[in-house]
Amino acid sequence: MTPDLTVDLAPHNPRELVLNNPVIPASGCFGYGLEYSAVMDVQKLGAFVSKGITPEPRSGNPMPRITETPAGMLNAIGLQNPGIRKFIRKYPAIWQHWDVPAIVNISAEAVEDYAMMARELDEQPGIAAIEVNISCPNINAGGFCFGWDAGMSADVTRAVRQATTLPVIVKLSPGALDVIEIAQAVASEGADAISLINTLVGMSIDTRTRKPVIANVTGGLSGPAVRPVAVRMVYQVAQAVEIPVIGMGGIASLNDALEFFMAGASAIQIGTATFAHPGFPLRLIDELSQWLAARGHASLREIVGVANPRFAGNGS
Amino acid sequence: MGMTPAPSNTASGGHIRPREFAGEIRDVRPVMGDSSLIAFTAPHEVITAAKPGQFVEVLCRDPGAFDPLLRRPLSVYRADPERGELTVLVRPYGRGSAWLCRQPVGTVLDVLGPLGNWFDVAPRSERLLMVAGGVGAAPVFMLAEEAVRRGLSVTYLLGAMNADGLLPAHEMPEEIEYVVATDDGSRGHHGFVTDLVPDYLQWADQVFSCGPEPMFRSLRQQVMQHRIGRKPGVQLSVERTMACGLGACLGCVVETTSGMVPSCTEGPVYEMERLVWG
Repeated sequence: MTPDLTVDLAPHNPRELVLNNPVIPASGCFGYGLEYSAVMDVQKLGAFVSKGITPEPRSGNPMPRITETPAGMLNAIGLQNPGIRKFIRKYPAIWQHWDVPAIVNISAEAVEDYAMMARELDEQPGIAAIEVNISCPNINAGGFCFGWDAGMSADVTRAVRQATTLPVIVKLSPGALDVIEIAQAVASEGADAISLINTLVGMSIDTRTRKPVIANVTGGLSGPAVRPVAVRMVYQVAQAVEIPVIGMGGIASLNDALEFFMAGASAIQIGTATFAHPGFPLRLIDELSQWLAARGHASLREIVGVANPRFAGNGS
Repeated sequence: MGMTPAPSNTASGGHIRPREFAGEIRDVRPVMGDSSLIAFTAPHEVITAAKPGQFVEVLCRDPGAFDPLLRRPLSVYRADPERGELTVLVRPYGRGSAWLCRQPVGTVLDVLGPLGNWFDVAPRSERLLMVAGGVGAAPVFMLAEEAVRRGLSVTYLLGAMNADGLLPAHEMPEEIEYVVATDDGSRGHHGFVTDLVPDYLQWADQVFSCGPEPMFRSLRQQVMQHRIGRKPGVQLSVERTMACGLGACLGCVVETTSGMVPSCTEGPVYEMERLVWG
């Protein structure tokens, strides 16, 4: 029997976010879905998350924008994107003919801009959900990152929640002092789901030129190097909130993905691994199905949280 | 609903889509000092579709390892449908390329391609000038070989640090006029390859180049002095660190008159006047 891989990422939202499987390419690693349709059948994915969209167009950071680190990479792309208006003129019309749910990632530097974008997206066709990137500087709070402060994270979530009935996923920053406090704050403001982790802020210096490698000086660390941190945070957050958790951070194999499910993630996102292996997300769906079937599981839900005391009693 | 095809500007690879394939190394030939010409097997459709200027991305690590994490972009040096092989020119200047140069015949590589755009020879161009530096020799070499097969006249200028760093003359089809420059004067012109360019700028219907950025800047000065406004323009193949190779991550952008564009899909070949020269 084929195990049930479906997941419901917004169980309390009438607009629903039911995925055929739990594998989702992460924001910034998958463009707008079109780029990878050159090498894979994008429609078979559980969903995908678009590149981060901002209120105004952004040309991004100067080069170099990426560099490799041990089992990982740093990136400082700088949210290069066409801005919400141009984005809306182009992508919803394409995605409305797609089977795969498209999740739009939004970033802003002011609470009212997050709300404006959520309002603009609310009635667009072809959009299944919004993922809110709160790892941005708040220009009204001296550039302090929204996602590092429970109050500011709650403010953004509340504003987005009031602006749209679409399922809202809030993507947490691993830079927060207390990720549990942030998770509880966004859950209490009506987030349908939480995704984590965003990249960790890192830096690399070229000892030959004696300068930072990345033009932006710092960049976001991703890849297998961050995975243990991500598994720990998913475990903690899944214990602290009742809403679904989407885990990500360095997943590059079936075993990596299983760690996240067992920690309490209902679904997972794949980022950096896709760069090296564009076939990995689809292969993972098959491998996951086979792994569950070989162990007599009828559903993925039977292993979600099995390593996490909060889920005790589930699936037994 | 089925798949919606990607628009042509994102589906790189021209008339076929890029694919991930296993390429078995058939031949490793030391060339240009510490570099190697590495020939590996590829699907017939990939070999016949690959155009001069296009590249492949090769995963340069042992199975199960994570370093280096990303694929390495390598311009196609030769696409040989009869032998069923693609050849790339690799200089071991980083961890990935050094790993690749160490692999013996028989190693199976994980390859993604063909990727990127290609050099565009205008229908009425008969005399082509190639200007290359170092491993930039590869993409213009494929163009030169293809051009002489079609009966076009080709002058190929190559610059290197010393004689050892040059492509050996026997690599070059004899129809090609091959002129070299070395920094130390150990062969050909003593100086930069771009010193040779003015002699050919009036002759050439079209100019194609690949090499380091200072060479491009010098070439651009020559063009501004001797060839201003002449069409078709000069085409450059630009090298960038890349991640996805498919236009998704925007890690390899180049600043153009139409904004920051990914060089894996809108490049690596650009018209010189489309690039913004800071």
